[in-house]
Parts: sequence; structure tokens; C-alpha cells
Amino acid sequence: MTSSSAPSRKALSKIACNRLQKELVEWQVSPPAGFKHKITDNLQRWIIEFVGASGTLYAEETYQLQVDFPEHYPMEAPQVVFIPPAPLHPHIYSNGHICLDILYDSWSPAMTVSSICISILSMLSSSTEKQRPADNDRYIKNCRNGRSPKETRWWFHDDKV
Amino acid sequence: MFTSPSQGFMDFFTETFQISQSTPPSDLYRSVYSEIEEVGWKHLVSFERDPSSVNFSVIDENERKHILEIRLPQNYPESSPSIAADVPYICEFKWSMNSRLKDIVQQFQQLLQKLQKFWSTMDSIDKNLLVIYPKQPTLACSYRQIYLGNDCCLLLFIDAQNPTSLPGCRFLGLNTTTEIIRKKWQRNGRKWSNERSFIENLSLLLETNIPGCTTTFQKEEWEIECGICYAGQLPLGDDSQANNGEYPDYTCDNPCCQRAFHTVCLRDWLRSITTTKKSFDVLFGSCPYCSDPVAVKINAS
Repeated sequence: MTSSSAPSRKALSKIACNRLQKELVEWQVSPPAGFKHKITDNLQRWIIEFVGASGTLYAEETYQLQVDFPEHYPMEAPQVVFIPPAPLHPHIYSNGHICLDILYDSWSPAMTVSSICISILSMLSSSTEKQRPADNDRYIKNCRNGRSPKETRWWFHDDKV
Repeated sequence: MFTSPSQGFMDFFTETFQISQSTPPSDLYRSVYSEIEEVGWKHLVSFERDPSSVNFSVIDENERKHILEIRLPQNYPESSPSIAADVPYICEFKWSMNSRLKDIVQQFQQLLQKLQKFWSTMDSIDKNLLVIYPKQPTLACSYRQIYLGNDCCLLLFIDAQNPTSLPGCRFLGLNTTTEIIRKKWQRNGRKWSNERSFIENLSLLLETNIPGCTTTFQKEEWEIECGICYAGQLPLGDDSQANNGEYPDYTCDNPCCQRAFHTVCLRDWLRSITTTKKSFDVLFGSCPYCSDPVAVKINAS
């Protein structure tokens, strides 16, 4: 596999395409506060830029998220990663992978890109220290072959941050 | 009147009472009353004292009814009041010490006059094209998502100050189809002319007749959307599939939720997670929205 973090890119199903169009319209009409969808013609990969909430450790810092949608979205969660440099956070690895249950085991089609963004922002906002996860180096090593975070078996051991 | 008021309530009561004591003296209200009279009591919808605001109803030349909310600051009329209304934009209001409420109403009427062209443009879109979103647009709303056919939609952003000019747009749909339409739009962009009607311009740029609300699929079909695929009719890739075009046919039993789903979508979702239980040919799981139990037959069709 040559592409870095891209999952095997099968084109979106008609259902996925239809649903994403509607999510995009909803986003353009009322985007989550502080988030900006970078306009591209690619419905299957969204690049989202946002600024850390004021009054938090990440205030005024700008980050980019890359959201890739699987063929059978929303039956499957989208793959969401930070485009490095990723924020320093106990649940965010230096390669941009995010340890957040709703992106993996707890995903439900009731969620949307917009609700994911809000969850990620609140995860950052509630952080009390800027540091990498304890197992960052080991994890990065294991991901060297371009493994998707969706292939990781995550342990959601801490829901405080 | 209050037989056994709790301490907390009494505190609250005295507090509010004190606040209202310190709010503008009744002199002010007397002058506001006379200003309302100048506008005409029949136009008054409501008058709130704390914080002070006056709501008037204003009818425009095309019989549209507008509610104009004028909020009065503590030191009214020294500082200018602020206003709110269901309009796409509010121009700056002139205000001086000698200004009165009727001056604001008058300026609002001038704004309404300016906006007539905008609303008639929006009306022509709503009447002639298949508007998917918003379903019940407010008067302030200056965008529309319209259906172009072939699973392609166009999101139009109309400039409220210059409604007949070339609108901002976003094409939504499969990349290949939208690419063709986008190119036409770019190529024909210069042909947009303020002399033609908005709809005529639109068809000219897109080189096609845009489906109107008279097309075979009716607006109602978009009304109830499946909570999973967000579609009214099931958009399966293969047209020969039996469930294609089906409407949501399953509703969550929880009265607070009542989300609608296509049985097919709900079944596919339940199949894709490990917590679903299967008994005979029924899948038992939980609603993606409220987590209440749901059950669908495996061979749903």
C-alpha cells in the first residue's frame, strides 16, 4: 500500500453519496461554530479547519482534520485524523490518529460530521495538560505501514478528557 | 396569592421587584406610549417592560406581514434602540435625540420596499423550481437548494441587495455529473443578464430545463427522511433492486423519538454492529437515535 492514511478508496455508494450531499448542505447552512469546511470537489474526503476554543489550552491554534468516508457510510464510521501537526493531547497521537470512541466502536448513523467535530473540539477543550499519549512512540511504530486508525483495537480507558 | 412561598422564591421576588424599581421611571413609559400612539395602536403586537421592547406588525406592499421588534435601551431615547426582524439584512438606522419610534417604523418600511425584489425572486424560485431545502424558508433566508435531476442539486445563494444578479452557487452530486454542469455554468456565466428573469437566466446557464415542482416526484416525497440514509425515497445504486424508491416504513416506537427509517437501512445498520441479537429471522438492537429497542425482520422487503 502506497497511499499514507487513505483507506482502500472504493467509490461512495449511492446511499452514501446522497447522505453526504445532505450533510454538506446542512454544514454550509449552519456549520459548527469555529469550523470551516475547505471547499473541494471531493465529496469523499473533507478537509476541515478549526481554531481551538478560547479560554482553553488550544486557544487560537489552528488545526486541520481529514475526514474520509467509506463506501458504505453511514453504516460505517468515517475515518477522522488530524493532518500533522496534530494538537498535543493525551488522546491524540503524533501521526494524527485520535482515540475517541465515537469514531470506532460507538459510532452510530445518528451522528454526523458536524457532531464529530463538536466532540473533538470538546475533547480538546476539556484537556488540562498538553502531552502525547504515554504509548505514542510504540503506536507510531506500529502504524508505519500506513495503517488506518480504524484497524487499531482501541482501549477507551479514560473518559475524563 | 402565594400560600407558602419558599425562601428562594421570596428572594427572587424581592430582587425582581427592586430591579423594576430601578428601571426607567414611568415618565419614560408615558413618552413611549405616546410614541406608540403615533405609529398606531392597531400595529402594536406586544409591549414588554423588562427588558423593554416594542413589537409592531408591518404589512408590506405585497401583503406580507412582518414583525418589527424594537428593543429600547435603559437610557432610551439617548441611545438608539436596536431592532430585529425576519429580513435578510438590516440597514443602519438613523437615530438622534429627537427621533421617535415612528421614524424607525418608517425606515423599516423603506427597507421592506427595497426588499420586494428579493422576495419576488425567492418566490419565483419556490414556485417554479423543486426546492429541497429549506422546506419552510423564512423571509430572511437567502439560499435555496434546488434539484436538477440525475441526483444532482444546486445550492443557490441569492444576494439580497442585488437579487437579480448572478447568485453564488455550489453543485452537489456525483463528481462526474456535477463536473459537467459546473463547466456549463462557468462557460455561460457571462450570459447572465438582469433583463431576464431569474429562472430564465438559470436555465440559460445550465443549458437545460430545470425540473419544476410539476415533475413526477412531488415535494411530499422529500418530507419524511430516513434517519440513516437521509433520503425520502431509498436511493439504491441498482434501479432493478426491489426496494429502490421505497419510503421510510419503520418508525421508532419511543414516543419521544419517533424517528423514521427504511427497514432496509435499519437492518443493514443492525447487521453491521456486534451488539445486535438475532432470534429466528428477527434482528433485535437499539435505535441509533434514542437507543430504545428496535426489531426488524431479516428478510424485510
